[in-house]
Amino acid sequence: MQTLSLLVNRLLQLLPVLLGIAIVTFLLLKLTPGDPARLLVGDRASEETLAAVRQEYGLNRPWPVQLGTYFGKLAQGDLGESIRFRKPVSGLILQFLPPTIFLVLYVVSLTVPTTLLLAIAAARNHGGWADQAIRVFGVCGFTLPVFWVAIMLSRLFGVELGWFPVSGYGTGFLEHLHHLFLPALTTSIWLVPVMVQSLRAALLEKSEADFVTAARSKGLPERGVFWRHILPNALLPTLHLLGVMVAYLIGGTIIVEAVYAVPGLGRLMVSSILSRDYSVVQGLTLFFALATVLVTLLVDIATTLIDPRVRL
Amino acid sequence: MLRRVAFAGALALATLFAAPEQAPAQDAIRIASPYQTTTLDPMRSAAAGNIEVYGLLYARLINRDAQDQLQPALAESWEVSDDQRIYTFRLRDAKFSDGSPITAEDVAFSLNRVRTDERSAYPAPLGSVEDIAAKDEKTVVFTLKAPFAPFLSNLDVWNMGVVSKKDVDARGEDKAFTENPVTSGPYMVKEWRPNDRLILTANPNYWREGYPKTANAELLEVSEAKTRLGMVQTGEVDAIRDVPWSEVDPLKTQENVELKLEPSTVIYMVLLNSKREPFSNAKARQAAAHAIDNKAVTQAVTFGYAEPANTTLPGAIDFHDDQHPGISYDPAKAKQLLQESGMGDREVTILIGTSATAEQIAVLMQAQWNAIGLKSKIQKVDGSAWWDLVAKGEYDASPTWWYNETPDPDLAVRWALCGTCGSDSFYTFYTNPKVDELTEQGTAEQDPQKRAEIYKEIQRITTEEVSQIPLYYPPYANAYSKRVQGLRLTPSLQWTLEEATIGG
Amino acid sequence: MSVLAQHGLSARRAVSSWPGTLVLGLLIIGGWLLLAIFAPLAAPFDPNAVDILHILEAPSLTHWFGTDQAGRDVLSRTIFAARVDLFMCVMGVVPPLLIGVTVGLVSGYLGGVADAVLMRIYDVTVAFPFFVLVLAIVGVLGPGLGNFFIALALVGWVTYARLMRAEVLVIKTSEYALAARSLGFGPLTIMLRHVLPNALSPVLVYAMTDAVLVILAGASLGFLGMGAQPPLAEWGVMIADGQSYVVRAWWICFFPGLAAVTLGMGLALTGDGLARLLR
Repeated sequence: MQTLSLLVNRLLQLLPVLLGIAIVTFLLLKLTPGDPARLLVGDRASEETLAAVRQEYGLNRPWPVQLGTYFGKLAQGDLGESIRFRKPVSGLILQFLPPTIFLVLYVVSLTVPTTLLLAIAAARNHGGWADQAIRVFGVCGFTLPVFWVAIMLSRLFGVELGWFPVSGYGTGFLEHLHHLFLPALTTSIWLVPVMVQSLRAALLEKSEADFVTAARSKGLPERGVFWRHILPNALLPTLHLLGVMVAYLIGGTIIVEAVYAVPGLGRLMVSSILSRDYSVVQGLTLFFALATVLVTLLVDIATTLIDPRVRL
Repeated sequence: MLRRVAFAGALALATLFAAPEQAPAQDAIRIASPYQTTTLDPMRSAAAGNIEVYGLLYARLINRDAQDQLQPALAESWEVSDDQRIYTFRLRDAKFSDGSPITAEDVAFSLNRVRTDERSAYPAPLGSVEDIAAKDEKTVVFTLKAPFAPFLSNLDVWNMGVVSKKDVDARGEDKAFTENPVTSGPYMVKEWRPNDRLILTANPNYWREGYPKTANAELLEVSEAKTRLGMVQTGEVDAIRDVPWSEVDPLKTQENVELKLEPSTVIYMVLLNSKREPFSNAKARQAAAHAIDNKAVTQAVTFGYAEPANTTLPGAIDFHDDQHPGISYDPAKAKQLLQESGMGDREVTILIGTSATAEQIAVLMQAQWNAIGLKSKIQKVDGSAWWDLVAKGEYDASPTWWYNETPDPDLAVRWALCGTCGSDSFYTFYTNPKVDELTEQGTAEQDPQKRAEIYKEIQRITTEEVSQIPLYYPPYANAYSKRVQGLRLTPSLQWTLEEATIGG
Repeated sequence: MSVLAQHGLSARRAVSSWPGTLVLGLLIIGGWLLLAIFAPLAAPFDPNAVDILHILEAPSLTHWFGTDQAGRDVLSRTIFAARVDLFMCVMGVVPPLLIGVTVGLVSGYLGGVADAVLMRIYDVTVAFPFFVLVLAIVGVLGPGLGNFFIALALVGWVTYARLMRAEVLVIKTSEYALAARSLGFGPLTIMLRHVLPNALSPVLVYAMTDAVLVILAGASLGFLGMGAQPPLAEWGVMIADGQSYVVRAWWICFFPGLAAVTLGMGLALTGDGLARLLR
């Protein structure tokens, strides 16, 4: 019951946020130089042709009118039509969504076990060589530019060794797993260090917390203290971080998608921005906002399930 | 509770990805290009990605073959009137992909759209035409305003494909060209995933018996050059466009991949804005040109795979003046010219888009201009903003490229050198009445030798006055999987996909 | 609790008792800082000196790190780029930090309407795709590093705000703050004198990570062709440009990559050390 009212509450709060985002995006796009008509017809078109095309797509109307029309459609749940492709924006988003979702879940399923393993190893070995090694590799993984890692991995495992495809998404679950392995690995290489750092810090902090000292003083074995008291309490901040990261990844796998030619949302976003396909950029921005809010909500719900003391 | 959530999640996942496992895809030829397909309507766009596609979907009246000869295609034969103004084409018995006959009516409809629709992206090839009419079911008559030498040659340009009038009338333009267009060319659309790929399958009614030789093909959009390279090396695609020059040598040693340097009508050059100072001053333009060592630039940028350019027209074009000495690299002369121009104290802006090649050229140019005392700064913007600024004339110099869609120089001159032909000499705003006059003479004249003289004169004037700084003539660097035979990219940016076979 | 307990101790600790990671981290950052300041002395060549006849030359005695696609000395460019990248770290971190800390402090401490409004702005910003913003800003204001910083300031503050607000919420209800209030201090005094110093440590630790993120964001933008304007040397852009030549000339992206990793390492170690020192 409480969860339900929370849900309703959150969704109500969402409306002004979406409205704000829609307006800001619209204005930013209007201010950006560049003309979708020009990119559409190509370089040889005359001014008259450009004017005719702008007229056709309503690009020459004053912007408040355009904004009004846009909101009118939005109110009816219509995200509009892509200027480039003359196809509905919602259809385009649906077309590019599955690879992104698959990739994000893939990243999560690679990252979570690795993070647990490494963070626990590091924290239990605090200051030891394993801890240091994990940290050094972590810093390297985190500091290397993503596109560079992506290009190197694709050369090594794709071109040289031939273990994994270097592009695309494939058809069917197994092919998806195969095709998206390198993109997921590339993303995990910077994500795991971030997560490990957070979890390790939390583990160390909790291991000195009062309730842990209390548990120890009761004579519980160190192993039991760790698994029953320290770990569950240390997980929460990391879970929140994971939520933030997942929300980021839904719209933020741009570079990985570019290097591995994955037909995902990030790619749609970049190409739409570059072609000034306003309605698609608008639709995607709203979609990302929605996704961010939903992921946050999911994390909050998961938090209450893990730790019933937390009230939302 | 947690378990139930997990279960629901798994279920959602399963439904999301349990896309019906397709039967092993029939073997297809896959081509990766950096340019995107945005429309399937041949009238609507002159953007590179669409140009590659049009020829695969829509047949033209005539085709240019590998030997550069014009061959009958949808037109079986044609006659030219004595005054060179009336061209009568006799169509062969051919059908659209939906089985309906291709009539003279369709031809007139398709080409009139290109010629007269106000949204037509590139009406120039038919600029000489006064009227196109269907005389009967199988006869189309073109009436020209005046004799026009390159007329037949222009009918091979990419937007001259024939579309079905009946279908466009019935479904409306938007639907007819976004959902499975009715086609007249070797292929029809099986599925179009915008921004990702175009999946093609053979048009069973294609007029050319026994073609296309390979029934299935896919055109993929892959923006990253490195990715395209990896894909052709792993066999994920069979052909890729635009191999970076630095990768040409490494790729030559690959066993399963063949690198082809194919002839192109591309020219790399530097736009100079004649509308504003300093480059409104001819001496300043000449100084800028003499300062650039275009042989060294060509070597540095293309590793010697391109020809240094000697005139303002592409090297592979008909009537290109191979004898012209070009603009010499002469810093001393450049310095002097700059001084004479009185523009030495201006700082110019070199505008570039996001291409790595343009950036490399810009950096080299900047250094060479610096050497003669011409100060510059580089302004890098994204492609969309680049077009905006260039078309408005808000730049001083910009290294870029263009290509010509036919070997005949007329369209090239109209695009890049003629000040009164609608493109402001490729937005350099260079204008010389003599050149404009010669442009018209060049097409009125039918004798090739006399035409050669005219175009030689145009090249001489524009090169001397430096309407643009010619840099180099690059070939297309494409890589092909060795399992595919007969596939190439023509200078007019058309794939010979219908002749390609998979074997070995 | 723990933050409160250690308050006031950290500043008085002697350098000798600093964690090793902090010392090492600061040494690395300091090293880069020195190189950046004395770049004209340290670099053997002008970083922008083009040599069209000696492009893509492998590392040699003349050019220790080789030359790039315009024949420029990679070593000199790498050294000069340190100036740009350190500047980016500062400009990409400090403004978002100041904005974020202020927002977090105000919304956490005051609560109520201020909190509600600021958190809605927070929601909008968090949900806003970074690249739309960067592109639009670069488009509107013209390209260049300055506008990259503006974009970073507009989106980067959110993490600081979240961290700060969370800390403030904890400290606000602590005995420490309650005591201050009972002594009659006003909200501003309490916020600045008592809450802020206590809540600052996670923010400072995160700032180190954020500095690395700024460099990475710069590199990603370079990859998408929207980074620092040429011919300015910047590690991210050098790596992005060099990746086209990775088979033929690995040195163009290797050395700036190495530089970025060492600075990143320095920042990460400093962050780690700070976390220990302040805890």
